Amino acid sequence: MEEWLSQLRTRKEIMENVTFWHTQPARPSRTTSLPEEVHPKLKLALEAKGIRELYTHQAAAFHSVTAGRHVVTVTPTASGKTLCYNLPVLQTLLHDDSARALYLFPTKALAQDQVAELQELADLMEADIKTHTYDGDTPPTVRQVIRNAGHIVVTNPDMLHSAILPHHTKWVKLFENLRYIIIDELHAYRGVFGSHVANVIRRLKRICQFYGSNPQFLCASATIRNPKQHAERLIGESVDLNDDNGAPAGEKHLIFYNPPVVNQQLGIRRSSVLESQKLAGLLLRDGIQTIVFARSRVRVEILLTYLQDLVKQELGTKSIRGYRGGYLPKLRREIERGLRSGEIRGVVSTNALELGIDIGQLQACVLNGYPGSIASTWQQSGRAGRRHGSSVTFLVASSNPLDQYLIQNPDYFLGTAPEEARIHPDNLLILLDHVKCAAYELPFEEGDKFGEEKLSDLLEFLAEEKVLHRVGSRWYWMEQGFPAHNISLRSAAQENFIIIDVTAGHKVIGEVDRFGAPTLIHEEAIYLHEGVQYQVEKLDYPEKKAYVREVNVDYFTDANLATELKVLHIDQEAQEGPLLRQYGEVTVTAKPTIFKKIRLRTHENIGSGPIHLPEEELQTSGYWFSFSEEETAKRSANDMQMALLGLANVLVHLAPLHLMCDPMDIRVVPQVKAIHNKRPTIYFYDRYPGGIGLSQRLYELHGELLKEAGRLIRGCGCLSGCPACVGPIEEVGLLGKDLALSLLDGMRVSS
Amino acid sequence: MNGLKERLDRLRASAMAAQAGEKREETESAVSEQTVDGVMIDKADDGGDHPLHPVFRRYGVEVCSNEAGSFLLRRIVYPFPYRHGRYALEDLNDCTPHLQPVAWRQNRTDKRKRWMPETAADYPAPQSSGLLFLDTETTGLGVGTGNVPFMIGIGRCTEEAFIIEQTLIRHPGEERAMLTWLLEQFHGVTHLVTYNGRTFDWPVLANRFILNGWRRSSVEPGHLDFLHPSRALWKNTLPTCRLSTVEEERLGVVRGDDVPGSLAPELYFRYLREGNPEHLYGVFVHNEKDVLALASLAVHFGHLLGGGLGAAAPDPTDAEERFRTGAWLEQHGQLSEAERLYDLLAATEQGAGSGEIGWRLALAAKYKRHGSLHRALPMWEQAASLSEASRLPRLEAHLELAIHYEHRIKDYGSALRYAEVALELARRRIALARISAAGKQERERLERRINRLKRKLQREHGPPVTGRCSERI
Repeated sequence: MEEWLSQLRTRKEIMENVTFWHTQPARPSRTTSLPEEVHPKLKLALEAKGIRELYTHQAAAFHSVTAGRHVVTVTPTASGKTLCYNLPVLQTLLHDDSARALYLFPTKALAQDQVAELQELADLMEADIKTHTYDGDTPPTVRQVIRNAGHIVVTNPDMLHSAILPHHTKWVKLFENLRYIIIDELHAYRGVFGSHVANVIRRLKRICQFYGSNPQFLCASATIRNPKQHAERLIGESVDLNDDNGAPAGEKHLIFYNPPVVNQQLGIRRSSVLESQKLAGLLLRDGIQTIVFARSRVRVEILLTYLQDLVKQELGTKSIRGYRGGYLPKLRREIERGLRSGEIRGVVSTNALELGIDIGQLQACVLNGYPGSIASTWQQSGRAGRRHGSSVTFLVASSNPLDQYLIQNPDYFLGTAPEEARIHPDNLLILLDHVKCAAYELPFEEGDKFGEEKLSDLLEFLAEEKVLHRVGSRWYWMEQGFPAHNISLRSAAQENFIIIDVTAGHKVIGEVDRFGAPTLIHEEAIYLHEGVQYQVEKLDYPEKKAYVREVNVDYFTDANLATELKVLHIDQEAQEGPLLRQYGEVTVTAKPTIFKKIRLRTHENIGSGPIHLPEEELQTSGYWFSFSEEETAKRSANDMQMALLGLANVLVHLAPLHLMCDPMDIRVVPQVKAIHNKRPTIYFYDRYPGGIGLSQRLYELHGELLKEAGRLIRGCGCLSGCPACVGPIEEVGLLGKDLALSLLDGMRVSS
Repeated sequence: MNGLKERLDRLRASAMAAQAGEKREETESAVSEQTVDGVMIDKADDGGDHPLHPVFRRYGVEVCSNEAGSFLLRRIVYPFPYRHGRYALEDLNDCTPHLQPVAWRQNRTDKRKRWMPETAADYPAPQSSGLLFLDTETTGLGVGTGNVPFMIGIGRCTEEAFIIEQTLIRHPGEERAMLTWLLEQFHGVTHLVTYNGRTFDWPVLANRFILNGWRRSSVEPGHLDFLHPSRALWKNTLPTCRLSTVEEERLGVVRGDDVPGSLAPELYFRYLREGNPEHLYGVFVHNEKDVLALASLAVHFGHLLGGGLGAAAPDPTDAEERFRTGAWLEQHGQLSEAERLYDLLAATEQGAGSGEIGWRLALAAKYKRHGSLHRALPMWEQAASLSEASRLPRLEAHLELAIHYEHRIKDYGSALRYAEVALELARRRIALARISAAGKQERERLERRINRLKRKLQREHGPPVTGRCSERI
């Protein structure tokens, strides 16, 4: 690896695009001896695995747990995090056969890895400790055994929500004796999903209390800015923070790579996809096992096609694989195994591989575009190079403003703490959903607490809606339904569209979530799967099925979405000079309109067609700011439109940066004449029913956000607007940049 | 931040707007119903003790109190002799012990009962005094913790009468008192007699006991779940195996205008909202009829297993049902009775239609297993000719006959004839099902068999014989 890097330094055509090269020196390990009280059997088992000492963070976790505290451990990938919770759990189980532990992982795949590891330790200890996964794949015959006799039950929040908690009477043994609840990958529980999970945990604690147990929470997380706060919000308890990482790490190179400008006037750079492909090709050809991360499924498939093509002579196409959400579990397991064994030399993935799935140690990582957050960047680059030897990560910037901002301000990247994980468990809709589920599980009583809102108001509301029935000081579930069935923790996950290949017979090849469906698998869309092109022949919207047939064409498709926005209610507002900013509830209707056919490689537009799909309505929270009539009158309607559009283009990229949310979670819409106040307005809204607090936070960050936007536009090297700032001149006109800046200045001068 | 109540109101407003039309109709009908009923005496949701609604008294309902509170109880006595449909319920006393093999089959894997014997013979025969007939009406489907049994009907047989008691909770707060009472009724009970109770009523009740602080134990009663025998006997001859279908078609019971069980939750919710007992009268009657049907079924099955078939209980007239009854009796140790039914079947006139094929094949398979090939052969031959005439042919009989003639009789000509017809039938099946990997395999196997038979024939007689049987089709 070192050799490869020193060679790289001599290649001028690459080095002239490297804007920044950061080297993180190797870090030695810091250890302490195994605590005295560790059970002799456990000691022997650990020794058999070559563990004679503990890393400092592992010891710290053990002591916190022994002292009866809830703990959250935050250390990088491959630092021996699992032992932080497995050690105290096994210690307890060896002493007390009746004790139980519940492990929660965000995905089934992670759960299975975990069971294998625990089983190995149990075997080494020759202890009768039964570890089982309990998920949708568990056969009914085994379920009963697990309920009664499993010491460690490994599951996911969805299963807990819809199968375990509503049937808690079948789990009496578990809940009466529950000592530990393990929540790994804590950082994955943010946004909507995290808000749901926080409520599932409220329900879990309620059930434990009913059966008289008071379990300790042992959490683990990748690096985020607020692990302690996040853990405390998620589990509703105060926790010990354990972040003194004692694990060693090899030398790490982080290289920022900005594709060369090919058109100075238009500010157009070479495609980041092509540049990522070039770098990954260099690595793969020299036998370096490499992971490439791309932002979208489509990107993954495009890169995969290119790379397989590039190295098929040397390596064969089977040695480069794709990996993303839509692949079926069996295929994913096969790819994970291939990566561990080294048989697969390269993988192109979405952030699906960001989580702790065991794929062994890779040497190099290429990020096609900034992953959207600092935490994700570290997490993804952590896939390359684990404990020993050097590793390299390339961050290849795309032309979007956020990428360009980061690549030109490496200090921002290195100097800023990773983002916060934000959840909003008291989002009214999410909270009500779980109050229903909780009432189904156990009646509520006057004085009970569930979340921060006034519970009795919620219960009264549900009673009026004839879902609950009040008798004296108690509220009972009185409805025929099973509430958990209609509530999905991952808003899109449950309503997946399946993709059926009808080329030869019927074969399910993948799935797409509901939000993705209108733009990814509308009829005539080109759907890419494992590098193969399919055309959607029929989309059965009510049945959630897309029928596709294999094709061989030289284009891919890209769909447009038309949105309409209405303000329902204003909760907060502030007037600053010519600017009125407001926060409140909005309704958004979205309808896909047309799709474009875009030629592969050259990316030129070669045709289009209409999309016929129903409109979707979303009621959510939003934040928006509007300009005074006086300020509006200073420019023509057309100029105003360009200025707004330019500003919105910048803000859409800056907002997720400040929120640590997926760029898909928040939307920005500029309107020259807003429906509710007839003024030029830019809207932001949360892309989840009821909102999850993102636009509320933006309302607070307003000043900072606009200042940042000004800095970005001014700092951009283009002449009159480019995709890296206000947008290309085809979109915002020749004066787009100046117009956006004058609008920004207008606000400042008057305030 | 605006107030929670305000936000809840807006939420409601938007939900209402979304389903405006639907909702309006609903409220209108609810209002009109209230005016028809006229009075609204006590809204049943204040949780305190309140006097019994006079309408309840009219239905024979009384307040029952214990240390855990109070609930309502309706008691109906049917003095013997009492006939429900075809059967006299006083026969329960004699019939119950005959249910022993059913009881053993359904309870032998109960791990909580350490005393469970190894063989059917050692399982104590149930007595009518140990049976508790049980049927619940619940607020929902499934066995989740939020499904509440608001009415539990139990039936018991004494020397003089059949007695039904039905509980009703006026609100969920009365559940504990009801369960406390129910638990007392379990005293001396060896088996709960239910319809799907093993997978529904009992798990739901077990949930309620656990939620109210009880724990499961080894003294739980065993099960006599009549859904399983009903399915065994009538799965193919009745449109459904719902209790109401079974009683009407096989027990001679006519219910008249019964409130369907699926409406019970909605009627109970209406009662909770309005406090009007009239909503529940139909549910009481439905539940009572269900318990009676259970007792009637016990008599029926008891007669079947006690040698009363053809006398106390009528012989099944339908061949398919006759076969399934025979198989069921055989499974429960009634070999001679089963034999009698099989013999009746063997003498059955050749019917028509594909429904006639199944039982012949099954009966032939039974004979083959017992080594009575001479009895299996006519069954196969009948099934074969029925198949050839059927639009949905089956080829098992031809296969069996091909095997029989090839390997036992060494008559390769006959074997080839059957194999070739089987191939033809297989082709028809494949054409009907369009594509089927299994069908393709079947066809290939047949082709191999035919080739082998042709070789054997050639060795014996010279040139192969073909085409002869396809003319028959």
